[in-house]
Amino acid sequence: MTTITNSGKTSWFKKQKNRNYLVAFLFVLPALINFTVFRYYPMIWAFRASFWDYSLLQGFKKMVGFDNYVRAFTADPIFLQSLKTTFIYAIFYVGIIVVLALALAVFANQKKPGVGAIRAFIFIPVVTSFIVVSIVWGMLLNPDLGIVNGLLQTLGLNRLMFLTSKTQALPTLIAISVWKDVGYSVIILVAGLKGVPEMLHEAAIVDGANSWQRFWSVTLPSIKRQLMFVVVWATMGAFQVFIPVYSLTQGGPSRSTNVVVYYIYKEAFIFGEMGYASALSIILLFILLGVSIFQMRILRSD
Amino acid sequence: MSEINNTSTQFSDEQLREFARTKRLAVLAKIGRGIFYVFIYALIAFVFVMPMVYVLGNSLRTSQAIWSNVFPASWKSFIPFEGITLKNYIQALGLDAVSKGAGMDLSNALWISFASSAVVVGLSLIFNTGAAYFFGRLKFPKKNLILIYVVATMMIPQQVVLVPLYFVVKQLGMINTFWALVVPWYASPFIVFALTQFMTDLPYELDEAAIIDGANLFQILWKIVLPNCLPGLLTVSILEFQFIWNEFYWPLIAVSNQDLYPIQVAIAGQFTQEGPQWGRVFAAMVIASLPIIILFISLQRYFYESVAMSGIKG
Repeated sequence: MTTITNSGKTSWFKKQKNRNYLVAFLFVLPALINFTVFRYYPMIWAFRASFWDYSLLQGFKKMVGFDNYVRAFTADPIFLQSLKTTFIYAIFYVGIIVVLALALAVFANQKKPGVGAIRAFIFIPVVTSFIVVSIVWGMLLNPDLGIVNGLLQTLGLNRLMFLTSKTQALPTLIAISVWKDVGYSVIILVAGLKGVPEMLHEAAIVDGANSWQRFWSVTLPSIKRQLMFVVVWATMGAFQVFIPVYSLTQGGPSRSTNVVVYYIYKEAFIFGEMGYASALSIILLFILLGVSIFQMRILRSD
Repeated sequence: MSEINNTSTQFSDEQLREFARTKRLAVLAKIGRGIFYVFIYALIAFVFVMPMVYVLGNSLRTSQAIWSNVFPASWKSFIPFEGITLKNYIQALGLDAVSKGAGMDLSNALWISFASSAVVVGLSLIFNTGAAYFFGRLKFPKKNLILIYVVATMMIPQQVVLVPLYFVVKQLGMINTFWALVVPWYASPFIVFALTQFMTDLPYELDEAAIIDGANLFQILWKIVLPNCLPGLLTVSILEFQFIWNEFYWPLIAVSNQDLYPIQVAIAGQFTQEGPQWGRVFAAMVIASLPIIILFISLQRYFYESVAMSGIKG
């Protein structure tokens, strides 16, 4: 038995084919190590920590079973409220992104002078960092000193409180995020629109369809794949919104913008409740999984 | 219409007037559409460009001048026709004694951002390209299973993984070092996937010819595959640079030593500390975004390409 394995081993290395496999594997190995250590292992770590009372200083202190999960759903109204806030944020953010991106993409896909420039204008916020965008809008929307209120007053309209008002803060955050992100979806949809065959439109014109009917029955079905991507992509982004909340409202006023990722960040790094924060991260992970599976189902069945 | 043909080939005055009217209407409709187009164009441009013009213009003013021009709003609020000063930039970059002492200096943060972006782009070119070469062109048993292992990591949401990532990086002793900013990102599943598609599209005859000439795998990669996917490499490099340059959450938790703050974390701190110094904050915003915006304007096509690349996934 041993002799066979020994001889098998030496011949394994000697075989040119196997040596090629080994060299080939060396090309992919560093990347596989990265994904294992920095992507899979953290998820496993979070999963484990979610069953422990974990603190920044003492590490894995005490196993608590499902206590962290039970606490999240029964004894933590602030978490449940943050989930609700995140869902509201996501619904409006995704809805507005899809409609606006579609309108802008149709506009930017015309054969008219200046469309290249308008595409670039819309895309500049996408390449700019979210922290810059947040701080800039925070200053422009400052109730006393911001230019937006200056413009509103000049036009004879009422000044608004924007981020400092309990009712206006969340809509303002949604508007800022849409402004920053919509260009990405516009480029995706423009690429889709370019792929719609001219012939389909001509055929529809021959059939006597007006431009609105052509949009509904020719353009939209042809870019269904891109639209679905935009919906799923925007939803993933919406549920993970963090930067504008961190830099502009810190979850306030009176927790009206306390989205779930910001709440997890605070539990983990301000209050040091790592075990609990890990449980919340796992819950968020499952919510995201559920939502994207749901969306795939709905959008595929059309 | 048929009546015209039957009775005479001449058009009556009535009909000629009718034609003229239709033509006038068509011209009017065209002008109307043109005006509508220009109006919508101006509206979109205003909404997306004006905030940037405002920041750029007012970064050249003192804070007092910014505030006194807010109301009534006019072109003067956006563009400083007089009283232009570079003081905000000098202070933000720590070029005079006062700002250096007060810790407003962004030059170190700029350096950290440039260094970490460059290192990540370099490492990513080596390791993502290697992995893509493996998946796209090399023979290996059960290669598809390994590809699934890679692609599945794309399902893990970024923000969810960052909190536990902190502990993994801490166990490796890299928290609060420069390495924390670059090591977790030396390979990206998304870029491996995108480059793999690029490489699969190249014809295999090229490789076969090189193998006959006695070239090894490295030589084939270096001399045949890479020169043929330069546009793809440029696109993913831009993507990585943009990602690291703009990243905020990860450096915020991974480094607490101010000397290691990249530019995005440094400016976030400045805003809370120096709320009243609007001119300087605007200058800091310009400094933090100008490199990436200049890159975008000069390489627009590749930025759009990178979006299209991610669209493939859907």
